[in-house]
Amino acid sequence: MEFTVTKSDLVRELGLSQGVVEKKTTIPILSNVLVEADGEKIVLTATDLELGIRCSCTARVSKPGAGTIPARRLLDYVRLLPEADISVKIGDNQWANLLCGRSRTRIAGMSRESFPELPAMPEVLAEIPISVLTSMIGRTIFAISSEESRFTLNGALVVLRENGVTMVATDGHRLAMTETVIELPEVRGTYRALLPRKAMSEVLKLGQESDLDAPLKFSGDDNHLFFQLGQRLLISRKLTGNFPDYERVLPKEHANSVALGRDELRASIERVSQFSDERSHAVRLRVSPGELRIYSSLSETGESEESLPVEYGGPQVEIGFNAQYLIDFLRAVPTDAVTFSFRDAQSAGEMQPSGGVEGQVYRYVIMPMRV
Amino acid sequence: MKTYFHVDMDAFFVSVEEIFDPSLKGKPVVVGGGPDQRGVVSAASYAARKFGVHSAMPLRTAYQHCPHAIFLEGHPHRYREYSEKVFRALNRFSPQVEMASIDEAYLDLTGTERLHGRPLKAAHELHEAIRRDTALNCSIGIATSRMLAKVASDQAKPNGILWILPGQEAAFLAPLDVRKLPGVGKVTERRLAEYGIRKVGDVARLEPAFLERHLGEWGAALAGKAQGLDAGGWFEGEVGAREDPKSISHEHTFAEDTTDAELLESTLAKLSQMVSRRLREHELHARTVQLKLRYSDFSTITRALTLERTTQLDIDLIEHSRLLFRRNWTGEAVRLLGVQASSLDRDEGQLDLFEGERTRRWRKALGAVDQLRDKFGESVVSVASGLKGVYEEKTHENPAGLPGRRRRKE
Repeated sequence: MEFTVTKSDLVRELGLSQGVVEKKTTIPILSNVLVEADGEKIVLTATDLELGIRCSCTARVSKPGAGTIPARRLLDYVRLLPEADISVKIGDNQWANLLCGRSRTRIAGMSRESFPELPAMPEVLAEIPISVLTSMIGRTIFAISSEESRFTLNGALVVLRENGVTMVATDGHRLAMTETVIELPEVRGTYRALLPRKAMSEVLKLGQESDLDAPLKFSGDDNHLFFQLGQRLLISRKLTGNFPDYERVLPKEHANSVALGRDELRASIERVSQFSDERSHAVRLRVSPGELRIYSSLSETGESEESLPVEYGGPQVEIGFNAQYLIDFLRAVPTDAVTFSFRDAQSAGEMQPSGGVEGQVYRYVIMPMRV
Repeated sequence: MKTYFHVDMDAFFVSVEEIFDPSLKGKPVVVGGGPDQRGVVSAASYAARKFGVHSAMPLRTAYQHCPHAIFLEGHPHRYREYSEKVFRALNRFSPQVEMASIDEAYLDLTGTERLHGRPLKAAHELHEAIRRDTALNCSIGIATSRMLAKVASDQAKPNGILWILPGQEAAFLAPLDVRKLPGVGKVTERRLAEYGIRKVGDVARLEPAFLERHLGEWGAALAGKAQGLDAGGWFEGEVGAREDPKSISHEHTFAEDTTDAELLESTLAKLSQMVSRRLREHELHARTVQLKLRYSDFSTITRALTLERTTQLDIDLIEHSRLLFRRNWTGEAVRLLGVQASSLDRDEGQLDLFEGERTRRWRKALGAVDQLRDKFGESVVSVASGLKGVYEEKTHENPAGLPGRRRRKE
């Protein structure tokens, strides 16, 4: 195999594979990127068996063929090369020879025979503008559980209907749910799948590399989900198991609510939380007529308190929350004002963008802390 | 200046047994189990003590010392019931009561002279009140520190009252063996003997710095104790303001080593229930569960698991201790099983979105169960998996349910 490619093309496409290649070296071939040269382009494929990515760029192929090269090492090296053409040649001995200007390097590769076969993309289920998907991911991904034992919560539930997309993520303490109204005429009935967190962050990366309106082709087979954006294809294994019945925990109504400025609230919580318990991150919110008081209890580091004026005439309620959970939402919510709804110190509270966003639902349900 | 009482019931378990079986009176009685059983003496009557039997001695050794003694399994629920009676009598006297174990308590009677009169008069009234309510004898030590009150009650036994006059602390302690000081065990006694220190007075004459150099921080506390002061460990702190425990555990030694998985798991369930009950009593929530497994050859392993959320519920402790057991048991015969809860916190912490309802329902059910157990004994209610693990609760000094530790919230 022999081809010539520009440095910038190679760096860009290799960059996309970095989140996918296996970090641990338990299966050495998975640390490598598969390079296939044919016709006018090269195709780069990386996988860790959970996730796979295939991308391509134009190249002058003088001798078609395939081989695998350690992905990390290749990218680290190529990045350091000057902006110029790089010619790559892989011989029968699996060594990759790179030539660029006056630089010459040999990298030990491995035979392509042992590289796993990625599944083929089935019939497209839906076409969604990438920006719709990435903004929904941005509003939910932080609520995904990092507890490995709660594996059904290690991703988000994605529901497709002919009139919209729903995405839900929870770690058992808080839950982020977002819906976007969009015509998906190809979807019949309801399609549900659990999308792993890692796949979600790779979709975000794909989104950064493309136009906002670029249509993302989505489909799935029994075990995999497929996301095709232009020449790039991301394949993820589905999470298995039952996602909890999230509709049950979405509060039907709230006893009380207050409207707050997003940035003000966030800044206050961030300041107060500097003095919250390091392990629990607990802060207390006390809502009383005309005032929201945010404070931390006395810990070894000190204590802190903030007061925000609010329009509120209900009973005084005091609730403890993990400050980080509140901040996560305030970082993700797109509107300048948010509505905080609550009942008492034991019941779920909820945050929403004030006034709502046309064609969108965004709800964030958060359980209190008893402190 | 403080005035502390230390009330110590005389041969408590034995005395309670005598109430139910007066024929035991005056005879050598050993509570703790049969003479050929594993386990240790929980209590011995004064008649048995004359033969050298004392608590914590292996039952088989006790039998060698005093073969004609009457050996009893004991009735933990009776002791609890009587302990509760004692506590109520004490509580009428002062709100500042702390049960240090099932049969002894500290009272802070500082500043109550106008209410109760001089300490000695107050002590006599208290002594009478306990006698009237429980038909049991106790001994009372009165002093300016809790440590000294404890030493005094010991010197007053049986059925006596001893008041160490303020200013006389060191003089009272000086002739006593160092072993009489709470916290001085065999090991410390031996180390002190190496320096020729045998009496408390010998300790009092030494520079605290010398003791600290040779015995560490503990030595400094010992120097304080020799002067009659509350020093070291939990003696530092107010009566009733005891610190929360760092961990709560229960263990069970099988009468015969066993490989019966069902019996082992149900015993585990039973132990877990006892631990979670005590968590609820202390109003604490645990984040770590630890399993202790001792095999026939005395090799012992402990394995711990951190929970995703804090708990004080039986079901959570049962589930996780069982998980640990299934992961770690080699299948060999087991001698002892233990369950420990640690990383304890007053606050429940983060509530769960999906489990909230379940937790509330369990808590309500277990609250009712705890009340039943308070009333009718530990074995009256159990989760089904604990049924086979129901063994006669061993009589020991640290049972579930010390009086005065009832939950106050909710």
